[in-house]
Amino acid sequence: MKLLHLGNFPLDNRRLIGALFLTPALLYIVLLVGFPFVLSIAFGFSDVTVGNTDLSFVGFRNFLAVWENDIFRQVFETTIRFTLISQVFILIFANILAVIFTQEFTGKWFARFVFILPWATPVSLAMIGWLWMLDTKYSPIDYLLLQLGLLGRGGLLSDNRNLFWLAAPDLAQISVIFVQVWRMTPLATVILMAGLSSIPTDILDQAEVDGSRFMRTLLQIKLPLILPIMVIALLFSMITMFGDMTVVYVLTRGGPVDYTRVLGLYSFQVGIEGGNLAQGAAISLFAFPLLLAMAIFMLRTASRAEVR
Amino acid sequence: MSVVQISGLKKYFDAVHAVDGVDLSIQQGEFLVILGPSGCGKTTLMRMIAGLEKPTAGSIHIDGADVTELPPRKRGVSMVFQSYALYPHMNVYNNIAFPLKAQRREKKFDKATMRSKVENIARLLEIDELLDRRPRQLSGGQRQRVAIARAMVTQPAVLLLDEPLSNLDAKLRANARDELKDFQRSSNITAVFVTHDQIEAMGLGDRIVVMEKGKIQQIGTPQRIYDDPANEFVATFLGSPSMNILRAKGHRFGFRPEHFLPKTLQDNPENSVSFHYFVKRVEYLGSDRLVYGYVGGHENELTLAKVPSNIRVSLDIDSEYEFAVHYDDIKYFDEASGERVEAQVAGAAWR
Repeated sequence: MKLLHLGNFPLDNRRLIGALFLTPALLYIVLLVGFPFVLSIAFGFSDVTVGNTDLSFVGFRNFLAVWENDIFRQVFETTIRFTLISQVFILIFANILAVIFTQEFTGKWFARFVFILPWATPVSLAMIGWLWMLDTKYSPIDYLLLQLGLLGRGGLLSDNRNLFWLAAPDLAQISVIFVQVWRMTPLATVILMAGLSSIPTDILDQAEVDGSRFMRTLLQIKLPLILPIMVIALLFSMITMFGDMTVVYVLTRGGPVDYTRVLGLYSFQVGIEGGNLAQGAAISLFAFPLLLAMAIFMLRTASRAEVR
Repeated sequence: MSVVQISGLKKYFDAVHAVDGVDLSIQQGEFLVILGPSGCGKTTLMRMIAGLEKPTAGSIHIDGADVTELPPRKRGVSMVFQSYALYPHMNVYNNIAFPLKAQRREKKFDKATMRSKVENIARLLEIDELLDRRPRQLSGGQRQRVAIARAMVTQPAVLLLDEPLSNLDAKLRANARDELKDFQRSSNITAVFVTHDQIEAMGLGDRIVVMEKGKIQQIGTPQRIYDDPANEFVATFLGSPSMNILRAKGHRFGFRPEHFLPKTLQDNPENSVSFHYFVKRVEYLGSDRLVYGYVGGHENELTLAKVPSNIRVSLDIDSEYEFAVHYDDIKYFDEASGERVEAQVAGAAWR
């Protein structure tokens, strides 16, 4: 017996509504991930430039040319170095912050809100902020150091009134890594917090009754239990950072010289700014097998470490 | 000698009075069961003994020392949780050794001592073959043994058990109950066992503490609690099916279904009270017949009788029978407070 007959709405059709629900995700993947990816492969094996958009197949010529280019090798090395160094700090900070934010204290909500901001702010805007903070002449950091007597004549750090955050080779690299850590730590923290709060309270109570103190519980119970989640967090931030160009594009444009030039930026500079689409595509494609291998390795590690 | 001395213990969660003034003294080597429905405060009470919950008021002494403000590791207690809370990433050996490692600095024992302690307790609980396994490779019963071994390896003054049998299937549970009782007796450990299962409580407890609404309703041996309940809550909470309660003038009285038998079968009919019993339904339970009906004058109060199957009296539906209860098996309760009162006080003059 039909109690209520609402007529045949088109949306009652399960196939139709299923397709409707899937469409946004499919569109996103096809248009914004799949299509550019296929296009970059097509470009990478062709001789396309901004001036001549005819695609003619040239085999591995672009890849060989890129690989033999000293600048590319340096850029590739810089990208890997920046990524690895920043991940170490991101992991350390994210773990510490996640542990702090899963404790009870007053003002926790506000503190959490403040710490999530670097991640919630649009990258380009945040980078403009950092551009000011690290300004060669008017950097507030320099001003602070100057007031403390660490800069300026007879200063501990430098006789100069400025440190040239983005202009000195070492400092520019440190600055870029620091800003990346600042930007990526919140996401990793949130992921680790989710992991920490998923540990059953029974286990933590048991550890307490067993006589375990804070550090032992952290190192021998909590961290091993969230290891799989930690690997996922690491994977996320590594992939994001490996392909990122915004930070260095805004802060340093790869300079001074080539010290902060990373893969994403170099590909953009060669392909778009230099007009050599084919080589730009080839450069960015070098990241693909590396990231793929890394993702497979890390996901395997994560599922192997999964104990529950 | 009392191992645990609890006085005036209270725990308020805002407006909720989880534990509301508990005085309790637990003796060396006894198996004390805290029994009550869920939400009665029994788990909170145990967590306060363990040191996982800070009391709002009152004090706890263990082995004569005031531990009210001390963290769990300084109390000499250990605990087995309902979920067993085994560390999933450690093998059985490391699970059992964990409390030893955690207390190593204070107790000062070397690795060899530690290994022999773990192996001894594992042998005692018959899990010495499993030391290399991970918790997920163990059966429910094995996990429970590992949890008990981990709790016992430090030789605590008190072993706290929070419904440790409820995760086992029914068949295993009876067996585990026996083993637990044997183990407790042979090791002479003081055990506090929290449960909502009255059969577990009756089977295990040297004494039972019945709790409700954060307060202790009665403390006593299983037999005392069952035969001589302090109030209506205890009387109706224990026993299955529960005690029949009937209203009378100014009081209520009750008797257990198994004490409510056809008058001809009462061994001492002149010392019993007779009722007209109208049978509405009979359930055959194998060992017993469970009879649903009402007694004359109490038509709105369902009254049950549990008649052993070997008594071959015929009991037909919609028929009236003469049933009787022995005087001593009738309990009287104050109408307002539910407290037990004497027959004379209740004004019941059956004789």
